[in-house]
Amino acid sequence: MPPALCPACGALQPFRPELSLFAVLGLPEAFTVDVALLRERVFALQKRLHPDRFAAAEPATRLRSLEWSTRLNEALAVLRDPLRRADYLLQRQGVTAMGEGARVADTRLLMAQMEYRERLEDLAKRADPAGLETLRGEVEQAADAVVERLHTLLASIPSREPEQAAAAVRELQFLHKLRQELESTEEALQNR
Amino acid sequence: MALLQIAEPGMSAAPHERRLAIGIDLGTTHSLVASVLSGVPTVIPDQEGRVLLPSVVRYLRDGGVIVGEVARLAAALDPHNTIASVKRLMGRGLADVRTLAGYLPYDLSPEGGMVRIRTVAGEKSPVEVSAEILRVLKARAVEALGGEPEGAVITVPAYFDDAQRQATKDAARLAGLPVLRLLAEPTAAAVAYGLDKGSEGVFAIYDLGGGTFDISILRLRQGVFEVLATAGDSALGGDDMDHAIAQWLMAEAGGPAADPLWRRQVLQAARSAKEALSTAEEVQVHLALPSQRPWQAPLLRAQMEALVAPVIQRTLPACRRVLRDAGLAPSELDGVVLVGGATRVPAVRATVQTFFQRAPLADIDPDEVVALGAAIQADVLLGNQREDLLLMDVIPLSLGLETMGGLVERIIPRNTLIPVAKAQEFTTFKDGQTAMSIHVVQGERDLVQDCRSLARFSLRGIPPMVAGAARIRVTFQVDADGLLAVSAQEESSGVRAEVAVRPSYGLSDAEILGMLEDSFAHGAGDAARRRIAEARVEGERVREALDAVLAVDAGLLDAAESQVLDSARASLLLALGGDDADAIAAAAKAVEDAAEPLVQRRMDNAVRRAMAGRSIDDWGD
Repeated sequence: MPPALCPACGALQPFRPELSLFAVLGLPEAFTVDVALLRERVFALQKRLHPDRFAAAEPATRLRSLEWSTRLNEALAVLRDPLRRADYLLQRQGVTAMGEGARVADTRLLMAQMEYRERLEDLAKRADPAGLETLRGEVEQAADAVVERLHTLLASIPSREPEQAAAAVRELQFLHKLRQELESTEEALQNR
Repeated sequence: MALLQIAEPGMSAAPHERRLAIGIDLGTTHSLVASVLSGVPTVIPDQEGRVLLPSVVRYLRDGGVIVGEVARLAAALDPHNTIASVKRLMGRGLADVRTLAGYLPYDLSPEGGMVRIRTVAGEKSPVEVSAEILRVLKARAVEALGGEPEGAVITVPAYFDDAQRQATKDAARLAGLPVLRLLAEPTAAAVAYGLDKGSEGVFAIYDLGGGTFDISILRLRQGVFEVLATAGDSALGGDDMDHAIAQWLMAEAGGPAADPLWRRQVLQAARSAKEALSTAEEVQVHLALPSQRPWQAPLLRAQMEALVAPVIQRTLPACRRVLRDAGLAPSELDGVVLVGGATRVPAVRATVQTFFQRAPLADIDPDEVVALGAAIQADVLLGNQREDLLLMDVIPLSLGLETMGGLVERIIPRNTLIPVAKAQEFTTFKDGQTAMSIHVVQGERDLVQDCRSLARFSLRGIPPMVAGAARIRVTFQVDADGLLAVSAQEESSGVRAEVAVRPSYGLSDAEILGMLEDSFAHGAGDAARRRIAEARVEGERVREALDAVLAVDAGLLDAAESQVLDSARASLLLALGGDDADAIAAAAKAVEDAAEPLVQRRMDNAVRRAMAGRSIDDWGD
């Protein structure tokens, strides 16, 4: 029985903000997640916890349902994305990988990033869709490789190599951003 | 069947009894009401058997109100008091609809807040006008169902922002309708299809109405309708096709192009020709030229399709975007559903078929499908069906906050499943700052001025601290209807401010469309502007910090050090006046370097002061 529902009577329980995104779903804390299973679990719970199930209930119950339902959506959004999932697991062990105070200079990585960015700018300037497609393939491959590394670095939770894992998260974050920029550049070209 | 279920007086509250639930499609050109009768979703006609209620309201001098077909016919005679297409004004301010005012004949009141329309019966807000339409639909349902509906689901376009959704909910309240849920129109259409066909998979809903275009992608699985992505072009529809055909007719027939009566006649002929050509291969167009002999000419379907092709092509960028946002290729879809009267045009179907690589589904009447889906959802929400149905919508436009330099900090990206909550921490910018103003915006661009302002409020009573020490946590909560509430709290003091976002005005459809398109067209320009704005913020911060320190401790520097610092400061001021992000960053860095000895000495002094008069024991705990 998920923590949102009473094990005896199935009634909606008060919201517990301290529960982890894994605990809310009754899943073990791990980097390896079966996304199809995750989705199924979230929606099976949403069917019982979503505010639509309490359309006629009193405001306190509706608020409870809103809180649980919101948390389930958050769990789906964070846990289905390898970047956000890894960052969340590191946060749970007190390591800030992304955002303020996490900017670490790895010269080799910075050089590689600058090179990617220059190629993107160059391709955008030349309006070269085939080149963009090739670059996108490379970026996606690089991202897959980082995710593979994260599987090793986060094989045990808490991670025994949190700093390397945090560095991998930052690398993945860069690649995700780059892919987004690539996609909007490609789209702008298509719509011209 | 439902009409035969006569209950004994006093027995009507029996728990097993069906509770009356209705679904309403409150449309731009027409509206409908539907209900599930004996397990079958059914649209409810009026006494003359008409299903579509024209969304037109006429106000009379004696205070009377006429809604529907009769009002529509009077539109030409009494344009100031006959309100059509009021949906375009919902949740909008005067500034937002100024662009529409050119062709809306209404006399709009210049008062602040949502626009109001001056009529012989007084000033009317769009909420009131919409409520009149809802009252008529409700009466229709009461008549047919034999009782007051206990709950209603009302549909809104997927791209409707917070203000427009709130206005729709207010209109229902005004009409005495208990709203169970606001539902996105494409989601409602998917429900009508999904439950009807018992299908599973990923579907695109292509909704081309009279004046709006919506495209959504939904995943249907085990009774869950999950919106994966939604996009739209909110100033594009069947009307644009009519105009394209009319322009051609005008050029062919000649005639007084400036004469409004002539233009109306041509536009009407264009619309009729378009509708006829949905089934016929050729029509004869007849026009009565003013003071000349009648004009007539054949129009072939192929000709008509060439004329409207550019309009249909304009739907494709949004189709590409929605696929990209959903991370799908056309071949990965399981079906494409057509919604909206304009999808009856064969060329639209052909274009959709080519783009999505499959024949679109159109076996439910595209005018009725949204109301039918809403009726099903209402029935489920009131517990009438055992159906294990759950609808998960998304927010159509990103939500964010204004930060220093007029930049937008995106808090919740578009296409996030709702309900959703997100908290973000901000800090103070100046020493001793005790208040912070919070500006909530919606849109995809990097700069506040390019997004839509939703609400402003202030967090006051922050205890004075050095810049950057306060921790202000701003929380966004969007509920299942897509309505937003924002709260802010300073973490160390617990000072709170809260606001349910009830904006006084909103964007025009064209502006939302424009904002989305601009963000893709100008992505690169935005990034450059963002870099400059960020460099400016940092440069200003350095300058302010330096001035604050110099005001107190200028004496700690010797003459040579002072001179170096002064010249670095002057260079920074110069750079801040320009547009070169690198120059600003370099100048700010130079100031920080020049200030290094000063910072060091201040630190030493502070430590000395803090330690003065204390023994080591005091530091023990």
